[in-house]
Amino acid sequence: MNISVYSKKICMLGTFGAGKTSLVRRFVHGIFEEKYLSTIGVHLSHKALSDSLTGIQFNLIIWDLAHIEKFTAATRNYFRGAAAAIIVLDLTRESSFAEKQIRIKEFIESNPEAALVFAGNKTDLLDSHEQAESELHAFAARWQAPAVLTSAKTGENVDSLFELVVAAMPEAKKR
Amino acid sequence: MNTKNILSTVIRETGVAYALFDHRLQLTGSDFTSLPWFLPQGCPAEAGDIWTLFPELIGSEPLVDSLLAKRKKRFVLEKINKLGPDDRLYYADLQFMAHSFQQPASRGVLVLIFDRTSQVAAEQQLQQQYYELQLLRSRLASQPGFLSNAILGASPAVQEVRAFIERIANHNTTVLLQGETGTGKSLVARVIHNLSPRSAKPFVEINCAAIPDTLMESELFGYKKGAFTNAQSDKKGLIEEANGGTLFLDEIGEMPLSLQAKLLTFLEQKAFRSLGSTDEKRVDVRLIAATNRDLGRAVADNDFRQDLFYRINVVSCTLPPLREMDDDVLLLAEHFIELLHFEVNEKVTGLSPSARAKLLSWHWPGNVRELRNVIERAMIFARRDKIEASDLLLSLTPAPGGGDDFTLPATGFSLEEHERKLLEQALQHCRGVQSAAAARLGLSLDTFRYRIKKYDLNPRDYS
Repeated sequence: MNISVYSKKICMLGTFGAGKTSLVRRFVHGIFEEKYLSTIGVHLSHKALSDSLTGIQFNLIIWDLAHIEKFTAATRNYFRGAAAAIIVLDLTRESSFAEKQIRIKEFIESNPEAALVFAGNKTDLLDSHEQAESELHAFAARWQAPAVLTSAKTGENVDSLFELVVAAMPEAKKR
Repeated sequence: MNTKNILSTVIRETGVAYALFDHRLQLTGSDFTSLPWFLPQGCPAEAGDIWTLFPELIGSEPLVDSLLAKRKKRFVLEKINKLGPDDRLYYADLQFMAHSFQQPASRGVLVLIFDRTSQVAAEQQLQQQYYELQLLRSRLASQPGFLSNAILGASPAVQEVRAFIERIANHNTTVLLQGETGTGKSLVARVIHNLSPRSAKPFVEINCAAIPDTLMESELFGYKKGAFTNAQSDKKGLIEEANGGTLFLDEIGEMPLSLQAKLLTFLEQKAFRSLGSTDEKRVDVRLIAATNRDLGRAVADNDFRQDLFYRINVVSCTLPPLREMDDDVLLLAEHFIELLHFEVNEKVTGLSPSARAKLLSWHWPGNVRELRNVIERAMIFARRDKIEASDLLLSLTPAPGGGDDFTLPATGFSLEEHERKLLEQALQHCRGVQSAAAARLGLSLDTFRYRIKKYDLNPRDYS
């Protein structure tokens, strides 16, 4: 039997300190570090994942991007050919919801067919999830995209986040 | 030395690596001697196709096709970071170029890899500090509890302000904040909003003195397309933007009289009409107004509508000037040093005793805003780890009662009686701390001690 494996590029977007790198490290390596180390440029990670409904296998090439202060041709090259973006929002900081800084519009312009999934990160720092959840879903609804509350620290919903991404791939939807 | 050897030497010496792929995108040559960390783990440099060696290209297949088809010459990916076998982060720029080295008719892809580790490491350090500071600030600003603590100070005047905020935050009442310029009226308004049930909704701040009179109505109430020459589309006003939240009208005393009537109508009816519209819009906002003017006098001078004054003056609070906040000036100064530590000067960690005395003796006409500017300026020029008195450049405005405007009353004046009173007041203000009390009176510690001894005053009675 010939099993297809689809290699897909996923971009992690979000303002600095939202937890993009921590989510990737938790998902790929199962680890979390308290110390914040700001990312420069881009770091690539790989992980294989199957769609739970169809069993289709995906090789995810995860592009952990630095916070993009200035959008240039070089930055646009980072976005090229992405099948999806995970937009990471820090639930403890309103400023991480600043749409312009996240570069969602530029990402969609580069990849009009790409899937978007929103992660409301750092739930471990919240007293109550209720308000954060409604704000996150209201924000994601603007792009008609799914959203999930996550914590890279505790691992809450981190796997589910990437499963949502895989489920949003056209190959997974077709079958 | 042949050309190949020369090229190899150049490549090694300049910290560049290369990989050459044929038209089937199979590797035909490479040299990673100077950047061994770049190769994916378990991937030999001499084998594989372009996708194995450069997973960065996955998803960019059309781009590679356009290189091979001569539609594109090159494509660059900057600052790709890789974890080396020694667990260090390395950075590289990748340049993908079309080539026809092997067969002129068929193109392949040449990838040049430039080591950028040392440049990026320096950039990373700077960015790290900046982002850490920004993270801290934005996280604190997002926490309502912090804002209450942001009103720093232990003096009775500050405690009264805190108590006022806690009492009124949960009510929907209109609030009038009064106080001299720089006393933090905008901060107090934000704290009230953040502690109120409206905190999840917008806080819209408008400085009435900053908007030209001709634009204020359209800014506040919005307009319909065609309402005036340049109104090319509908625009929401700031009042509508604040729906559900708080509208903060700073410098309300500067609002033109013509607009005061419309604002009053809005406050009474909770409804308004945009410019050029006949439709009434209903919004739910809480109003907080602020002024540094004496509105009572403005009413008497016909500069401010009496009915609007009564409407906004439901609950009011006068924020204390810094000169009435006792030693809080030092607390605030230290807070600003902490806040500006990373941004301005990492070396400076505090205030020298002489600087503390100088800060305590100043009358702060510009209040907290002036203090922040003075500290920021001092941190820029400070040469040591503590700010010295000489680093503090205070404004040339003389302190009130500084001597020049004093006139001897016709009935006479008891110098000794007043001297004693001033010494007592200084001791009271400074809770018996002699150095601080001396600074308040512009005296050296020795002179101060001599004078309190003369009047038989005991500092312990004031501690």
